[in-house]
Amino acid sequence: MSNERVEKSPLPWWLAGLLLGGVQILAVAISKPLGVSTQFVVVDTLALKQSSPEYVAQHPVIGSEKYQKLGGGFWLDVGLVAGAFIATLVIGRWRLQATTAWWRANRNGKAAVGARLLTGFIGGFLILLGARLAHGCTSGQFASGWAQLSVAAIPFTITLFGFGMLAARIMYPKTPDIEA
Amino acid sequence: MSATTISFIIGILFGAALYLGGLANPDKIVGTLRLKDFHAMRTIAVFVLVGMLGTWILQLIGHANMDVKPAEVLPVLIGGALLGIGFGLTGYCPGTGLACVAAGRFDALITVIGMFFGALAYIYIIPTISKPLASVMNYDKTTLPEKTGINAAVFVIPLVVIGVLLLWLTRPGSKSTTVKPI
Repeated sequence: MSNERVEKSPLPWWLAGLLLGGVQILAVAISKPLGVSTQFVVVDTLALKQSSPEYVAQHPVIGSEKYQKLGGGFWLDVGLVAGAFIATLVIGRWRLQATTAWWRANRNGKAAVGARLLTGFIGGFLILLGARLAHGCTSGQFASGWAQLSVAAIPFTITLFGFGMLAARIMYPKTPDIEA
Repeated sequence: MSATTISFIIGILFGAALYLGGLANPDKIVGTLRLKDFHAMRTIAVFVLVGMLGTWILQLIGHANMDVKPAEVLPVLIGGALLGIGFGLTGYCPGTGLACVAAGRFDALITVIGMFFGALAYIYIIPTISKPLASVMNYDKTTLPEKTGINAAVFVIPLVVIGVLLLWLTRPGSKSTTVKPI
């Protein structure tokens, strides 16, 4: 179990951070600060509009026009998927996989994959519910929040990383090998 | 170029940078939350500091498009906690989850499906809970300089200087620290 190994990042931390910061500056200069999670609500709203248009129309949040059209934010998310896909192909790291090194270092056997997928679904549910309650996720509220010195970024950072570290501690007590 | 095309191109760059930078990798995120692998933490720190410095300079020359989120302290604390739990359990967040689907991770796809259900739950519960949640400690859309009346430079310059200094002193491979080279 201890021979699970975490692969090195394609780019070193300083270059990775400079690139991401550069994308943020570009976004603030010609569009608006980076943000990802709103579009999940937009897509759900468009689906709900098909089945229950009256519900959507009288809703205090998704009743507004912003949630009822696929705008720039949606295309940013589509671009994000495309960009990551191109990057994996370019460096030859595209791989079909269902678990992670940290997962396998802590759980093995037949049920490990199923448990990972179930954890993923529950985690994903909490991630988006939390992100929308907080008016933004790790991009819109944390990274863009600090870039703009937003007051909201302070309480957000405290619970995001506090509970993140706690959940990771419970879920992943054992450490795999980490490639230096 | 239309605004849609610009957003799409920014998205491509962001997705590629998330992947190549190692943030769209749940192993790197979990490693950082467990304080065992500092790559993601250092990357995020540089990302935030560069973004902060750049946004401040853009503001000085009048070219920043700001989008500050409302500081409703209670929903932000609760939302941050729920997001944090999901983040710690999976190693994904909305942006890196999408990027990891593109990288071939099936568990990320299931996580993203969970996100659509999380968004649906938000839609159904928010009419009932938004008013009581936003009624306490609500500072609305505000920034530290606006709230305190202190010039943004007083926040940005020390944060960037101290951040860069700390990143330098703790750099991987540095003889002066005991930090493991990652």
